[in-house]
Amino acid sequence: MSETGPAPSGKPQVRSSNCPSCGAALSLRSFGQAVTVVCQSCHSILDAQDPTLKILQTFQVAVGEDPPLIPLGTRGTIRGTTYEVVGFQRRTIRVEGIPYSWHEYVLFNPYKGFRYLTEYNGHWNDTSILRSIPAVSPGKSSLTYLGETYKQFQSANASTSFVLGEFPWQVRVGETADVCDYISPPRVISSEQTGKEVTWSMGEYIAGRDIWKAFKLSGDAPTPIGVYENQPSPMSEAVSATWRMVFVFAVALIVLMSVFYTFSRDEAAFEDGYTFDTNTTGEASFVTDIFELKGHTSDVVLTTTAELNNSWLYVNYALINQDTGHAYDFGREVSYYHGYDSDGFWSEGSTKDSVTVPSLPPGHYYLRIEPESDPHHGSIPYSVSLRRDVPQLSFFALGALGLLIPAIVLTWRSISFEHMRWAESDYGGAPDDGSLLSTVENAVDSVKDSMSGDDE
Amino acid sequence: MIRSMFLIYGLAVLAAVSLAEYRGWSLDRVDEVLNVPKSVRDNPGSYRSVYSSYHHYTGGK
Repeated sequence: MSETGPAPSGKPQVRSSNCPSCGAALSLRSFGQAVTVVCQSCHSILDAQDPTLKILQTFQVAVGEDPPLIPLGTRGTIRGTTYEVVGFQRRTIRVEGIPYSWHEYVLFNPYKGFRYLTEYNGHWNDTSILRSIPAVSPGKSSLTYLGETYKQFQSANASTSFVLGEFPWQVRVGETADVCDYISPPRVISSEQTGKEVTWSMGEYIAGRDIWKAFKLSGDAPTPIGVYENQPSPMSEAVSATWRMVFVFAVALIVLMSVFYTFSRDEAAFEDGYTFDTNTTGEASFVTDIFELKGHTSDVVLTTTAELNNSWLYVNYALINQDTGHAYDFGREVSYYHGYDSDGFWSEGSTKDSVTVPSLPPGHYYLRIEPESDPHHGSIPYSVSLRRDVPQLSFFALGALGLLIPAIVLTWRSISFEHMRWAESDYGGAPDDGSLLSTVENAVDSVKDSMSGDDE
Repeated sequence: MIRSMFLIYGLAVLAAVSLAEYRGWSLDRVDEVLNVPKSVRDNPGSYRSVYSSYHHYTGGK
Protein backbone atom coordinates (compact mmCIF):
# COMPACT_ATOMS: atom_id res chain seq x y z
CA MET A 1 0.00 0.00 0.00
CA SER A 2 2.92 2.32 -0.66
CA GLU A 3 2.04 3.53 -4.12
CA THR A 4 0.25 6.84 -4.18
CA GLY A 5 -1.54 8.68 -6.90
CA PRO A 6 -4.20 11.24 -7.48
CA ALA A 7 -7.70 10.16 -6.71
CA PRO A 8 -10.64 11.08 -8.84
CA SER A 9 -12.15 14.01 -7.07
CA GLY A 10 -15.82 14.72 -6.61
CA LYS A 11 -18.50 12.55 -8.07
CA PRO A 12 -17.63 9.82 -10.54
CA GLN A 13 -17.59 11.18 -14.08
CA VAL A 14 -19.98 9.02 -16.01
CA ARG A 15 -21.01 9.31 -19.64
CA SER A 16 -24.50 8.04 -20.28
CA SER A 17 -25.73 6.37 -23.43
CA ASN A 18 -28.37 3.88 -24.35
CA CYS A 19 -27.94 0.27 -25.37
CA PRO A 20 -28.70 -0.05 -29.12
CA SER A 21 -30.02 -3.54 -28.45
CA CYS A 22 -32.47 -3.07 -25.57
CA GLY A 23 -32.50 0.69 -25.07
CA ALA A 24 -31.39 0.47 -21.43
CA ALA A 25 -29.25 3.27 -20.06
CA LEU A 26 -25.50 2.57 -20.23
CA SER A 27 -22.97 4.09 -17.86
CA LEU A 28 -19.48 4.54 -19.31
CA ARG A 29 -17.08 5.18 -16.47
CA SER A 30 -13.66 4.77 -18.04
CA PHE A 31 -13.44 8.05 -19.93
CA GLY A 32 -13.43 6.46 -23.35
CA GLN A 33 -10.57 4.13 -22.50
CA ALA A 34 -12.80 1.06 -22.58
CA VAL A 35 -12.73 -0.95 -25.79
CA THR A 36 -15.93 -2.88 -25.10
CA VAL A 37 -18.85 -2.35 -22.80
CA VAL A 38 -21.44 -4.90 -21.76
CA CYS A 39 -25.04 -3.86 -21.23
CA GLN A 40 -26.07 -4.81 -17.73
CA SER A 41 -29.64 -5.22 -18.91
CA CYS A 42 -29.46 -7.43 -22.01
CA HIS A 43 -25.75 -8.41 -21.74
CA SER A 44 -25.04 -7.33 -25.28
CA ILE A 45 -21.35 -6.65 -25.84
CA LEU A 46 -20.94 -3.25 -27.47
CA ASP A 47 -18.05 -1.46 -29.15
CA ALA A 48 -17.24 1.31 -26.67
CA GLN A 49 -14.98 3.04 -29.23
CA ASP A 50 -17.84 3.33 -31.68
CA PRO A 51 -20.04 6.44 -31.27
CA THR A 52 -23.12 4.36 -32.04
CA LEU A 53 -22.07 1.57 -29.65
CA LYS A 54 -22.14 -1.12 -32.30
CA ILE A 55 -23.31 -4.51 -31.04
CA LEU A 56 -20.37 -6.93 -31.11
CA GLN A 57 -21.99 -9.94 -29.46
CA THR A 58 -25.15 -10.92 -27.72
CA PHE A 59 -25.48 -13.82 -25.36
CA GLN A 60 -28.24 -15.24 -23.28
CA VAL A 61 -27.84 -15.25 -19.56
CA ALA A 62 -30.32 -15.67 -16.78
CA VAL A 63 -30.93 -12.43 -14.94
CA GLY A 64 -28.97 -12.31 -11.73
CA GLU A 65 -26.62 -15.07 -12.65
CA ASP A 66 -23.25 -14.74 -10.98
CA PRO A 67 -23.60 -11.19 -9.68
CA PRO A 68 -20.27 -9.56 -8.84
CA LEU A 69 -19.40 -9.48 -5.15
CA ILE A 70 -18.23 -5.91 -5.68
CA PRO A 71 -20.99 -4.09 -7.63
CA LEU A 72 -19.97 -2.15 -10.74
CA GLY A 73 -19.45 1.52 -9.93
CA THR A 74 -18.10 0.81 -6.43
CA ARG A 75 -15.03 2.81 -5.54
CA GLY A 76 -12.22 1.68 -3.31
CA THR A 77 -8.62 2.52 -2.48
CA ILE A 78 -5.95 0.03 -3.56
CA ARG A 79 -2.35 0.85 -2.67
CA GLY A 80 -3.27 4.47 -1.98
CA THR A 81 -5.07 5.01 -5.27
CA THR A 82 -8.81 5.21 -5.69
CA TYR A 83 -10.21 2.86 -8.30
CA GLU A 84 -13.69 2.25 -9.57
CA VAL A 85 -15.03 -1.16 -10.51
CA VAL A 86 -15.99 -0.87 -14.19
CA GLY A 87 -16.04 -4.46 -15.41
CA PHE A 88 -16.55 -8.02 -14.29
CA GLN A 89 -16.03 -11.36 -15.98
CA ARG A 90 -16.11 -15.01 -15.07
CA ARG A 91 -13.55 -17.31 -16.58
CA THR A 92 -13.59 -21.08 -16.53
CA ILE A 93 -11.07 -23.83 -16.99
CA ARG A 94 -11.74 -27.55 -17.17
CA VAL A 95 -9.52 -30.05 -15.44
CA GLU A 96 -10.37 -33.69 -16.07
CA GLY A 97 -13.80 -32.55 -17.20
CA ILE A 98 -14.54 -30.59 -14.04
CA PRO A 99 -15.12 -26.84 -14.54
CA TYR A 100 -13.36 -24.42 -12.20
CA SER A 101 -14.36 -20.76 -12.41
CA TRP A 102 -12.87 -17.59 -11.05
CA HIS A 103 -13.92 -13.97 -11.27
CA GLU A 104 -12.06 -10.94 -12.50
CA TYR A 105 -12.93 -7.35 -11.66
CA VAL A 106 -11.75 -4.53 -13.91
CA LEU A 107 -10.75 -1.46 -11.90
CA PHE A 108 -10.18 1.98 -13.40
CA ASN A 109 -8.49 5.18 -12.31
CA PRO A 110 -8.29 8.00 -14.87
CA TYR A 111 -4.63 8.70 -13.96
CA LYS A 112 -3.41 5.18 -13.29
CA GLY A 113 -5.43 3.29 -15.87
CA PHE A 114 -6.69 -0.24 -15.38
CA ARG A 115 -6.04 -2.70 -12.62
CA TYR A 116 -7.64 -6.04 -11.81
CA LEU A 117 -8.86 -8.03 -8.86
CA THR A 118 -9.29 -11.76 -9.21
CA GLU A 119 -11.27 -13.96 -6.87
CA TYR A 120 -11.47 -17.74 -6.54
CA ASN A 121 -13.18 -19.49 -3.63
CA GLY A 122 -12.71 -16.44 -1.41
CA HIS A 123 -9.04 -15.96 -2.37
CA TRP A 124 -8.23 -12.57 -3.87
CA ASN A 125 -5.37 -11.24 -5.96
CA ASP A 126 -4.49 -7.66 -6.81
CA THR A 127 -3.30 -7.92 -10.40
CA SER A 128 -1.67 -5.57 -12.88
CA ILE A 129 -0.17 -5.97 -16.32
CA LEU A 130 3.62 -6.40 -16.43
CA ARG A 131 5.63 -3.80 -18.31
CA SER A 132 8.47 -6.18 -19.15
CA ILE A 133 8.64 -9.82 -20.14
CA PRO A 134 9.85 -12.35 -17.54
CA ALA A 135 12.69 -14.74 -18.39
CA VAL A 136 11.15 -18.19 -18.76
CA SER A 137 13.43 -21.21 -18.24
CA PRO A 138 13.96 -23.52 -21.23
CA GLY A 139 11.67 -26.21 -19.87
CA LYS A 140 9.09 -23.59 -18.85
CA SER A 141 9.20 -25.03 -15.32
CA SER A 142 10.08 -21.65 -13.85
CA LEU A 143 10.65 -18.03 -14.71
CA THR A 144 12.63 -15.15 -13.29
CA TYR A 145 11.30 -11.65 -12.86
CA LEU A 146 13.09 -8.83 -11.07
CA GLY A 147 15.55 -11.32 -9.60
CA GLU A 148 12.84 -13.53 -8.13
CA THR A 149 12.22 -17.09 -9.28
CA TYR A 150 8.66 -18.28 -9.86
CA LYS A 151 7.77 -21.98 -10.18
CA GLN A 152 5.26 -23.15 -12.74
CA PHE A 153 2.06 -24.15 -10.99
CA GLN A 154 -0.69 -24.76 -13.48
CA SER A 155 -1.52 -24.33 -17.12
CA ALA A 156 -4.94 -24.58 -18.70
CA ASN A 157 -7.19 -23.28 -21.42
CA ALA A 158 -9.51 -20.65 -19.95
CA SER A 159 -12.72 -19.51 -21.54
CA THR A 160 -14.72 -16.40 -20.76
CA SER A 161 -18.16 -17.46 -19.58
CA PHE A 162 -19.75 -14.26 -18.29
CA VAL A 163 -19.04 -10.55 -18.77
CA LEU A 164 -20.44 -7.31 -17.42
CA GLY A 165 -19.39 -3.65 -17.70
CA GLU A 166 -16.39 -2.16 -19.47
CA PHE A 167 -13.19 -3.78 -20.66
CA PRO A 168 -10.00 -2.38 -22.14
CA TRP A 169 -9.94 -5.16 -24.74
CA GLN A 170 -12.29 -6.77 -27.20
CA VAL A 171 -13.98 -9.08 -24.74
CA ARG A 172 -16.20 -11.90 -26.01
CA VAL A 173 -18.09 -14.60 -24.23
CA GLY A 174 -16.63 -17.93 -25.28
CA GLU A 175 -13.22 -16.55 -26.17
CA THR A 176 -10.38 -18.74 -24.95
CA ALA A 177 -6.79 -18.23 -23.92
CA ASP A 178 -3.97 -20.50 -22.81
CA VAL A 179 -3.11 -19.45 -19.30
CA CYS A 180 -0.12 -20.49 -17.25
CA ASP A 181 0.59 -19.50 -13.65
CA TYR A 182 4.02 -19.27 -12.04
CA ILE A 183 4.09 -18.72 -8.31
CA SER A 184 6.34 -17.27 -5.67
CA PRO A 185 3.91 -16.65 -2.82
CA PRO A 186 2.45 -14.20 -2.20
CA ARG A 187 2.91 -13.33 -5.89
CA VAL A 188 1.83 -15.05 -9.06
CA ILE A 189 2.83 -14.25 -12.62
CA SER A 190 0.36 -15.36 -15.27
CA SER A 191 0.73 -15.57 -18.99
CA GLU A 192 -2.28 -15.48 -21.27
CA GLN A 193 -1.79 -16.45 -24.85
CA THR A 194 -4.40 -15.76 -27.49
CA GLY A 195 -3.09 -16.59 -30.92
CA LYS A 196 0.39 -15.13 -31.07
CA GLU A 197 -0.30 -12.46 -28.48
CA VAL A 198 0.96 -13.13 -24.94
CA THR A 199 -0.01 -10.93 -22.01
CA TRP A 200 1.88 -11.15 -18.74
CA SER A 201 0.38 -10.04 -15.45
CA MET A 202 1.42 -10.16 -11.85
CA GLY A 203 -0.93 -10.78 -8.96
CA GLU A 204 -0.32 -10.39 -5.28
CA TYR A 205 -2.43 -12.24 -2.74
CA ILE A 206 -4.68 -9.95 -0.75
CA ALA A 207 -7.01 -10.92 2.07
CA GLY A 208 -10.73 -10.66 1.35
CA ARG A 209 -11.26 -8.56 4.46
CA ASP A 210 -8.80 -5.98 3.05
CA ILE A 211 -10.86 -5.84 -0.16
CA TRP A 212 -14.02 -5.37 1.90
CA LYS A 213 -12.34 -2.63 3.89
CA ALA A 214 -10.92 -0.93 0.77
CA PHE A 215 -14.30 -0.84 -0.98
CA LYS A 216 -16.31 -0.29 2.21
CA LEU A 217 -18.50 -3.28 1.42
CA SER A 218 -21.18 -4.40 3.82
CA GLY A 219 -21.01 -7.74 5.58
CA ASP A 220 -17.99 -9.99 5.66
CA ALA A 221 -15.82 -11.23 2.85
CA PRO A 222 -16.51 -14.85 1.86
CA THR A 223 -14.41 -17.27 3.87
CA PRO A 224 -11.57 -18.64 1.71
CA ILE A 225 -11.88 -22.31 0.88
CA GLY A 226 -8.74 -24.44 0.77
CA VAL A 227 -5.24 -23.22 0.02
CA TYR A 228 -4.76 -21.03 -3.05
CA GLU A 229 -1.80 -21.27 -5.40
CA ASN A 230 -0.03 -18.10 -4.21
CA GLN A 231 -1.55 -17.85 -0.75
CA PRO A 232 1.28 -17.02 1.63
CA SER A 233 1.84 -19.70 4.21
CA PRO A 234 1.14 -18.31 7.68
CA MET A 235 3.95 -20.55 8.93
CA SER A 236 6.73 -20.23 6.35
CA GLU A 237 8.52 -17.26 7.94
CA ALA A 238 7.73 -18.42 11.45
CA VAL A 239 9.27 -21.84 10.80
CA SER A 240 12.75 -20.56 9.93
CA ALA A 241 12.59 -17.96 12.71
CA THR A 242 11.47 -20.61 15.19
CA TRP A 243 14.30 -22.97 14.26
CA ARG A 244 16.79 -20.13 14.66
CA MET A 245 15.35 -19.49 18.10
CA VAL A 246 15.48 -23.22 18.91
CA PHE A 247 19.19 -23.12 18.11
CA VAL A 248 19.73 -20.06 20.34
CA PHE A 249 17.74 -21.63 23.19
CA ALA A 250 19.60 -24.93 22.76
CA VAL A 251 22.90 -23.09 23.15
CA ALA A 252 21.46 -21.33 26.22
CA LEU A 253 20.39 -24.73 27.57
CA ILE A 254 23.92 -26.12 27.12
CA VAL A 255 25.34 -23.05 28.88
CA LEU A 256 22.81 -23.52 31.67
CA MET A 257 23.75 -27.19 31.96
CA SER A 258 27.43 -26.26 32.19
CA VAL A 259 26.64 -23.77 34.94
CA PHE A 260 24.66 -26.31 36.97
CA TYR A 261 27.22 -29.07 36.49
CA THR A 262 29.95 -26.65 37.53
CA PHE A 263 28.28 -25.07 40.54
CA SER A 264 26.13 -27.91 41.92
CA ARG A 265 27.66 -29.19 45.17
CA ASP A 266 27.19 -32.92 44.37
CA GLU A 267 28.44 -33.63 47.89
CA ALA A 268 28.36 -36.86 49.90
CA ALA A 269 25.89 -36.66 52.80
CA PHE A 270 25.92 -40.24 54.04
CA GLU A 271 27.55 -43.55 53.27
CA ASP A 272 27.65 -46.86 55.11
CA GLY A 273 27.85 -50.57 54.45
CA TYR A 274 25.73 -53.41 55.84
CA THR A 275 25.20 -57.11 55.53
CA PHE A 276 21.77 -58.68 55.28
CA ASP A 277 21.66 -62.25 56.52
CA THR A 278 18.52 -63.88 55.13
CA ASN A 279 18.86 -66.81 57.52
CA THR A 280 18.37 -64.57 60.51
CA THR A 281 14.85 -64.45 61.82
CA GLY A 282 13.34 -61.45 63.52
CA GLU A 283 13.05 -57.78 62.65
CA ALA A 284 15.17 -56.88 59.63
CA SER A 285 14.61 -53.13 59.74
CA PHE A 286 17.03 -50.74 61.39
CA VAL A 287 17.85 -47.03 61.37
CA THR A 288 21.08 -45.26 60.54
CA ASP A 289 22.86 -42.55 62.43
CA ILE A 290 21.54 -39.03 62.01
CA PHE A 291 23.26 -37.01 59.30
CA GLU A 292 22.82 -33.41 58.18
CA LEU A 293 21.76 -32.10 54.79
CA LYS A 294 23.16 -28.60 54.43
CA GLY A 295 22.59 -25.78 51.97
CA HIS A 296 19.43 -25.00 50.05
CA THR A 297 16.56 -27.32 49.24
CA SER A 298 17.92 -29.79 46.72
CA ASP A 299 17.65 -33.31 45.42
CA VAL A 300 19.30 -36.29 47.07
CA VAL A 301 20.50 -39.29 45.10
CA LEU A 302 20.44 -42.51 47.10
CA THR A 303 22.50 -45.35 45.66
CA THR A 304 22.25 -48.96 46.74
CA THR A 305 25.12 -51.25 45.80
CA ALA A 306 24.84 -54.95 46.62
CA GLU A 307 27.10 -57.93 46.04
CA LEU A 308 24.62 -60.12 44.21
CA ASN A 309 25.11 -63.35 42.32
CA ASN A 310 21.91 -64.57 40.63
CA SER A 311 19.85 -63.05 43.41
CA TRP A 312 17.97 -59.95 44.38
CA LEU A 313 17.77 -57.52 47.23
CA TYR A 314 14.79 -55.31 47.86
CA VAL A 315 15.14 -52.44 50.30
CA ASN A 316 12.31 -50.43 51.82
CA TYR A 317 13.69 -47.01 52.56
CA ALA A 318 12.29 -44.20 54.65
CA LEU A 319 14.35 -41.03 54.66
CA ILE A 320 13.05 -39.31 57.77
CA ASN A 321 13.56 -35.71 58.81
CA GLN A 322 14.38 -35.90 62.51
CA ASP A 323 13.35 -32.26 63.02
CA THR A 324 9.90 -32.37 61.38
CA GLY A 325 8.91 -36.05 61.25
CA HIS A 326 8.45 -35.75 57.47
CA ALA A 327 9.41 -39.02 55.76
CA TYR A 328 10.17 -39.86 52.13
CA ASP A 329 9.20 -43.46 51.57
CA PHE A 330 10.35 -45.56 48.66
CA GLY A 331 11.41 -49.07 47.81
CA ARG A 332 14.25 -50.08 45.52
CA GLU A 333 15.19 -53.39 44.06
CA VAL A 334 18.67 -54.47 43.09
CA SER A 335 18.91 -57.70 41.17
CA TYR A 336 21.57 -59.28 39.07
CA TYR A 337 21.35 -62.53 37.16
CA HIS A 338 23.82 -64.02 34.73
CA GLY A 339 24.83 -67.31 33.15
CA TYR A 340 25.61 -69.10 29.91
CA ASP A 341 23.30 -70.60 27.36
CA SER A 342 23.52 -71.64 23.72
CA ASP A 343 24.08 -67.99 22.74
CA GLY A 344 26.91 -67.58 25.24
CA PHE A 345 27.08 -65.34 28.27
CA TRP A 346 23.97 -63.46 29.32
CA SER A 347 23.17 -61.13 32.17
CA GLU A 348 20.34 -58.94 33.29
CA GLY A 349 19.93 -56.36 36.00
CA SER A 350 22.67 -54.63 37.89
CA THR A 351 24.30 -54.69 41.29
CA LYS A 352 23.68 -50.98 41.66
CA ASP A 353 20.52 -48.86 41.80
CA SER A 354 19.99 -45.12 42.21
CA VAL A 355 16.95 -43.05 43.00
CA THR A 356 16.56 -39.29 43.19
CA VAL A 357 14.56 -37.98 46.13
CA PRO A 358 13.21 -34.56 45.16
CA SER A 359 13.42 -31.23 46.91
CA LEU A 360 14.74 -32.11 50.33
CA PRO A 361 15.01 -29.11 52.64
CA PRO A 362 18.12 -28.82 54.82
CA GLY A 363 17.90 -30.52 58.20
CA HIS A 364 18.82 -33.57 60.22
CA TYR A 365 17.84 -36.88 58.70
CA TYR A 366 18.20 -40.59 59.23
CA LEU A 367 17.33 -43.60 57.12
CA ARG A 368 15.09 -46.47 58.11
CA ILE A 369 16.25 -49.46 56.09
CA GLU A 370 14.34 -52.71 55.74
CA PRO A 371 16.02 -55.22 53.41
CA GLU A 372 14.33 -58.27 51.90
CA SER A 373 15.53 -61.13 49.76
CA ASP A 374 15.03 -64.84 49.11
CA PRO A 375 14.88 -66.73 52.40
CA HIS A 376 17.90 -68.89 53.16
CA HIS A 377 19.98 -67.13 50.52
CA GLY A 378 22.64 -66.27 53.03
CA SER A 379 24.52 -63.06 53.60
CA ILE A 380 24.22 -60.18 51.14
CA PRO A 381 26.68 -57.35 51.67
CA TYR A 382 25.38 -53.99 50.46
CA SER A 383 26.13 -50.33 50.87
CA VAL A 384 23.97 -47.21 50.91
CA SER A 385 25.19 -43.76 49.92
CA LEU A 386 23.51 -40.36 49.67
CA ARG A 387 24.67 -37.38 47.64
CA ARG A 388 22.87 -34.04 47.68
CA ASP A 389 22.52 -31.28 45.08
CA VAL A 390 23.27 -33.58 42.15
CA PRO A 391 22.60 -32.11 38.66
CA GLN A 392 20.15 -34.17 36.63
CA LEU A 393 20.50 -34.61 32.89
CA SER A 394 16.85 -35.60 32.55
CA PHE A 395 15.52 -32.05 32.94
CA PHE A 396 17.90 -30.69 30.31
CA ALA A 397 16.78 -33.48 27.99
CA LEU A 398 13.15 -32.63 28.72
CA GLY A 399 13.91 -28.94 28.13
CA ALA A 400 15.49 -29.74 24.76
CA LEU A 401 12.46 -31.86 23.87
CA GLY A 402 10.17 -29.04 24.99
CA LEU A 403 11.98 -26.64 22.67
CA LEU A 404 11.87 -29.04 19.73
CA ILE A 405 8.20 -30.03 19.88
CA PRO A 406 6.63 -26.66 18.89
CA ALA A 407 9.21 -26.19 16.13
CA ILE A 408 8.51 -29.67 14.78
CA VAL A 409 4.73 -29.11 14.94
CA LEU A 410 5.11 -25.75 13.17
CA THR A 411 7.32 -27.31 10.50
CA TRP A 412 4.85 -30.14 9.97
CA ARG A 413 1.97 -27.67 9.62
CA SER A 414 4.00 -25.67 7.12
CA ILE A 415 4.75 -28.80 5.10
CA SER A 416 1.05 -29.75 5.20
CA PHE A 417 0.11 -26.28 3.95
CA GLU A 418 2.54 -26.54 1.02
CA HIS A 419 1.33 -30.07 0.31
CA MET A 420 -2.26 -28.77 0.05
CA ARG A 421 -1.08 -25.94 -2.21
CA TRP A 422 0.79 -28.16 -4.63
CA ALA A 423 -1.88 -30.85 -4.63
CA GLU A 424 -3.87 -28.44 -6.85
CA SER A 425 -1.02 -27.94 -9.30
CA ASP A 426 -0.27 -29.69 -12.57
CA TYR A 427 2.24 -31.79 -10.66
CA GLY A 428 -0.28 -33.04 -8.08
CA GLY A 429 2.47 -32.51 -5.51
CA ALA A 430 5.58 -30.46 -4.89
CA PRO A 431 7.99 -30.22 -7.84
CA ASP A 432 11.15 -32.24 -7.27
CA ASP A 433 13.39 -29.23 -6.69
CA GLY A 434 15.26 -30.34 -3.58
CA SER A 435 13.03 -28.33 -1.25
CA LEU A 436 12.11 -29.65 2.20
CA LEU A 437 8.56 -30.33 1.00
CA SER A 438 9.65 -32.34 -2.04
CA THR A 439 12.19 -34.22 0.09
CA VAL A 440 9.50 -35.15 2.62
CA GLU A 441 7.02 -36.11 -0.12
CA ASN A 442 9.63 -38.23 -1.87
CA ALA A 443 10.42 -39.96 1.42
CA VAL A 444 6.72 -40.60 2.07
CA ASP A 445 6.29 -41.93 -1.49
CA SER A 446 9.30 -44.22 -1.01
CA VAL A 447 7.83 -45.60 2.20
CA LYS A 448 4.46 -46.14 0.50
CA ASP A 449 6.14 -47.84 -2.45
CA SER A 450 8.15 -50.13 -0.20
CA MET A 451 5.04 -50.98 1.83
CA SER A 452 3.01 -51.75 -1.28
CA GLY A 453 5.97 -53.81 -2.50
CA ASP A 454 5.92 -55.76 0.75
CA ASP A 455 2.21 -56.40 0.35
CA GLU A 456 2.83 -57.85 -3.05
CA MET B 1 3.12 -13.26 16.80
CA ILE B 2 4.34 -16.88 16.67
CA ARG B 3 7.91 -15.66 17.17
CA SER B 4 6.93 -13.65 20.25
CA MET B 5 5.02 -16.60 21.63
CA PHE B 6 7.95 -18.95 21.03
CA LEU B 7 10.35 -16.45 22.62
CA ILE B 8 8.21 -16.40 25.76
CA TYR B 9 7.80 -20.18 25.61
CA GLY B 10 11.55 -20.76 25.21
CA LEU B 11 12.35 -18.47 28.13
CA ALA B 12 9.73 -20.29 30.19
CA VAL B 13 11.36 -23.65 29.33
CA LEU B 14 14.77 -22.37 30.39
CA ALA B 15 13.29 -20.94 33.60
CA ALA B 16 11.48 -24.20 34.36
CA VAL B 17 14.66 -26.27 33.78
CA SER B 18 16.65 -23.88 36.00
CA LEU B 19 14.04 -24.04 38.74
CA ALA B 20 13.82 -27.84 38.50
CA GLU B 21 17.59 -28.15 38.78
CA TYR B 22 17.97 -25.61 41.58
CA ARG B 23 15.09 -26.94 43.65
CA GLY B 24 16.11 -30.53 42.96
CA TRP B 25 12.93 -31.82 41.38
CA SER B 26 12.87 -35.47 40.35
CA LEU B 27 11.02 -37.74 37.98
CA ASP B 28 11.40 -40.69 40.38
CA ARG B 29 8.41 -41.80 42.39
CA VAL B 30 8.73 -41.15 46.13
CA ASP B 31 5.87 -41.11 48.62
CA GLU B 32 5.77 -38.62 51.42
CA VAL B 33 4.59 -39.47 54.91
CA LEU B 34 3.91 -36.76 57.46
CA ASN B 35 4.37 -36.81 61.22
CA VAL B 36 6.44 -39.94 61.55
CA PRO B 37 6.79 -40.51 65.34
CA LYS B 38 10.20 -40.07 66.88
CA SER B 39 9.82 -43.56 68.41
CA VAL B 40 10.71 -45.05 65.02
CA ARG B 41 14.37 -44.48 65.90
CA ASP B 42 13.97 -46.72 68.92
CA ASN B 43 11.65 -49.23 67.29
CA PRO B 44 12.23 -49.32 63.51
CA GLY B 45 9.82 -52.26 63.13
CA SER B 46 6.92 -50.06 64.18
CA TYR B 47 7.12 -48.17 60.89
CA ARG B 48 5.22 -49.73 58.02
CA SER B 49 6.64 -48.89 54.65
CA VAL B 50 4.28 -48.01 51.81
CA TYR B 51 6.14 -50.56 49.70
CA SER B 52 6.20 -53.44 52.18
CA SER B 53 3.66 -55.41 50.13
CA TYR B 54 5.72 -55.09 46.92
CA HIS B 55 5.93 -58.31 44.92
CA HIS B 56 9.52 -58.88 44.07
CA TYR B 57 10.87 -59.90 40.73
CA THR B 58 12.74 -63.15 40.96
CA GLY B 59 13.90 -63.11 37.37
CA GLY B 60 16.69 -64.64 35.43
CA LYS B 61 16.46 -67.05 32.58
